[in-house]
Amino acid sequence: MAVTAVHQLAQCITCHAWSADRSMVALCPNNSEVHIYRLVEDKWEKVHVLQKHDQIISGIDWGARSNKIVTASHDRNSYVWNLERSEWVPTLVILRLNRAALCVQWSPKENKFAVGSGAKTVCICYYEQENNWWVSKLIRKRHDSSVTSVSWHPDNILVASTSTDGKCRIFSTFIKGVDARDPKKESRFGELIVQLDLSSSWTFGVKWSPSGNTLAYVGHNSVIYFVDDVGPSPLAQNVVFRDLPLRDVLFVSEKMVIGVGYDCIPMVFAADERGIWSFIRYLGERKAVSSGSRYGSQFSEAFGKFYGQAKLGVSNDAVETSRTRGVVHENCINSIIPLSRQGTQIRRFSTSGLDGKIVMWDLETEQDLLELLV
Amino acid sequence: MASTLRPYLACIRNTLDAAMCLQNFPCQEVERHNKPEVELKSSPELLLNPVLICRNEAEKCLIETSINSLRISLKVKQADELENILTKKFLRFLSMRAEAFQVLRRKPVQGYDISFLITNYHCEEMQKHKLIDFIVQFMEDIDKEISELKMSVNTRGRLVATEFLKQFI
Repeated sequence: MAVTAVHQLAQCITCHAWSADRSMVALCPNNSEVHIYRLVEDKWEKVHVLQKHDQIISGIDWGARSNKIVTASHDRNSYVWNLERSEWVPTLVILRLNRAALCVQWSPKENKFAVGSGAKTVCICYYEQENNWWVSKLIRKRHDSSVTSVSWHPDNILVASTSTDGKCRIFSTFIKGVDARDPKKESRFGELIVQLDLSSSWTFGVKWSPSGNTLAYVGHNSVIYFVDDVGPSPLAQNVVFRDLPLRDVLFVSEKMVIGVGYDCIPMVFAADERGIWSFIRYLGERKAVSSGSRYGSQFSEAFGKFYGQAKLGVSNDAVETSRTRGVVHENCINSIIPLSRQGTQIRRFSTSGLDGKIVMWDLETEQDLLELLV
Repeated sequence: MASTLRPYLACIRNTLDAAMCLQNFPCQEVERHNKPEVELKSSPELLLNPVLICRNEAEKCLIETSINSLRISLKVKQADELENILTKKFLRFLSMRAEAFQVLRRKPVQGYDISFLITNYHCEEMQKHKLIDFIVQFMEDIDKEISELKMSVNTRGRLVATEFLKQFI
């Protein structure tokens, strides 16, 4: 079993983030607060409550190097929290948004962060030493709808974003004075590098692979998209699956992606030697269960099944799909966060969902997946 | 159960299962608001194609989906005038008590008898399959309920008529 621990920390979790040493977790229990839990002798203890926002928090990210937490909320604001003598001190970031902030992520060097918003913009924020102030620069007029997810390329310059207009876009966020000038990559702030118009529905959960060569994101039409060679001539692959749409993805290595979503069960996708992506299997699948009779008598159910097979030549087992498939999560999983890194591989990760559970997963016990990982 | 009811309900169940993938989504048009997009219809890109499932002309079910809400509108079978009145009264009775049902809409969508509005908040509080079971159970029961009501009205009418006509014997 790939599950190592299940923690019920709230009624409903919208997002969570881990501290650098993975001893503390910050989560939003579906309201305007951030709760920070610390593992004390196998028990999770609530150590801090961050209260400053006045609407639901949509994104949390915990910087591993700087140990700063950035939060984004539907109240249009963002705060950077800094630990000063066991107190978390907030700094307001004026995002200059007039709609909700939907997602946030620190850049790899943690000198910038990106916020996606309902105002159809992406804000890139950076710290200005002389004013002691986080400055926000906006990328306007690119998105036709809300920005649902942002992700930084490992080079600290490129940002990928997904939006409810069904497109995935990649921008340059070069800021003079913050980023070192790279003569090979000449780009202005806000320049659109590429626009991927693959999905016919909303897109979510964009992520870069550890090397930054591959990009993955999901569409609400139950498709996961993989894009190689991001640049003037990108190579795209669509993998269609039969389950409910995904919400978020995580690259555990260059060749393997874990997707989580409305089916309450993580799905594993992997690329073969030729680089063709495909669905491998579910993680921690429930063994065959008899759901019993939920409506009608057993006789009528049996009769209906027989009738369907006899007359139509198909089994109407599909009627039974409206129960949760996953073994641990009971509601939509909406975020997946890496826990430990071994070189470029991630063996352990955590998921959180609307059922209020944080579940730790370990791929170490899944022998067949470890072979595909490298 | 009639032979066509089962596939009809199965179809609705599967459609609801696929459609009920909702998430918290703040309004794009109005600052600091969070409204069901299926009711506002202000951003066309946030709506999915509506699905209409018909058992026959008289019985149909319209499922409209958006990013953070889902609207199910039902048209119940009304064979004659009496059924029509009974349906109207019965569903009005339910709609008046909409807050007790949480997912019930106070007013049905035009052309339908009763509507449900499910938002992402319902999906956060309740289990999805229980919600779907509730809707399907409701549809199953409503026909039964109406025909029982009709039967009792007819029985009562017959009794009253017999009692009334006794005096002329």
